[in-house]
Amino acid sequence: MELGASVVENLCLAGDTAHIPDKCFDQLARKACRGVLSETDRNAIADDPSFKAVDKAVLKAAYSGVVALVLEAVKHDADANGISHFLEECKFTPDRIQSFNNIFLTQKPSMQILLGSVGSCRPHIVDVDWRLDYYIKSNHMERINEAVYLISLKTEVPGQTELQEVQFSCSLEQLQDLVGKLKDATKCLEKQAQS
Amino acid sequence: MLLVLEDSHKKHLAFLSQVDVDVVREFCRISMEFIRKGSNPKVYQSAAQKLGVEAQTVQHGVEGMMYLLSESSKLMLSEIDFQDSIITLGFSEELCSLLLELYLANRNEIRAILSHMSMDLPHYHSLQWRFDVQIASRSLHHQTTPQVLLKLETKDGETMDTHLLQTDPVNLLHLTQVLDAALQEMKSPYCRRIARNIK
Repeated sequence: MELGASVVENLCLAGDTAHIPDKCFDQLARKACRGVLSETDRNAIADDPSFKAVDKAVLKAAYSGVVALVLEAVKHDADANGISHFLEECKFTPDRIQSFNNIFLTQKPSMQILLGSVGSCRPHIVDVDWRLDYYIKSNHMERINEAVYLISLKTEVPGQTELQEVQFSCSLEQLQDLVGKLKDATKCLEKQAQS
Repeated sequence: MLLVLEDSHKKHLAFLSQVDVDVVREFCRISMEFIRKGSNPKVYQSAAQKLGVEAQTVQHGVEGMMYLLSESSKLMLSEIDFQDSIITLGFSEELCSLLLELYLANRNEIRAILSHMSMDLPHYHSLQWRFDVQIASRSLHHQTTPQVLLKLETKDGETMDTHLLQTDPVNLLHLTQVLDAALQEMKSPYCRRIARNIK
């Protein structure tokens, strides 16, 4: 886990008892984790009354350092030892290291899920609707008498709030083909999961 | 169900009884070509010269035959209905049985051509799937996220569309179960009754 020189400087500021008193540090660590998880709370620290005694520029630098640390630690799946080792080099007191680890490690799984979902992906199928019609006749032909399925796949597309639909029709044989292939895929997955 | 022919149609088809059986067979072949590819006036001219009649008579005869064959195929007339429909034309028995034979031989092809003309929704063509495990991304280095990639090809008339979609194992299972239930629905007593009774 490596962080740039300016980030390390900011972290040292956050660990310095002269600039950030002990009782503020816990709150700082909590706010940093909260800011990563929730978009609305990202700047909540600016109006927080518990940091009234702290100089604004120092607070901003310390906050950015702690957030950068949190993100890197989640990205590299760092454990308590790794973080402790890193923070010792930033001249954190053992108490602060301990309280940071306590706060961070409880939030780590949620942050991992959040970071895992960052990135582009194809439309993700979440649901399927179907409809069975009986095709009797059209203006070109009569006595057709075939079953027609209308399938609608509901997909989540990154960047859009509404579900997008992929619609197509299937005859009975085509649907049997489709279901056969999906069952193959499911069997393969189950085999992989068991082995 | 009987095919009702108007007087003008009957007049056009009356020409067929004046020529040989082989000529009628040839006319049927020409009609089928025209149904497949569209009409070609030059053929009328050459046929008219060979038979010693006007080009327009030949044209009406062929067009009458095309209409007879395509309407009968569209309505999917049974043999008996077809024979009853052409009785009103007053053809010889040999000609009637020839027309019946030509109708039965060509009706599936004509129905296939007609179905291409009908409205079609984009329909399923093929599905390919692939199972991946995402082990890292720029934002998160240690991952094991299973993903199933699907390539769905749908055909709309002549154009083929490809949809690249993905899903996870849970949704794949859900998808399979729902579509399997849809398939079983066709075998239910209710659907079978409908299929039996609508003919």
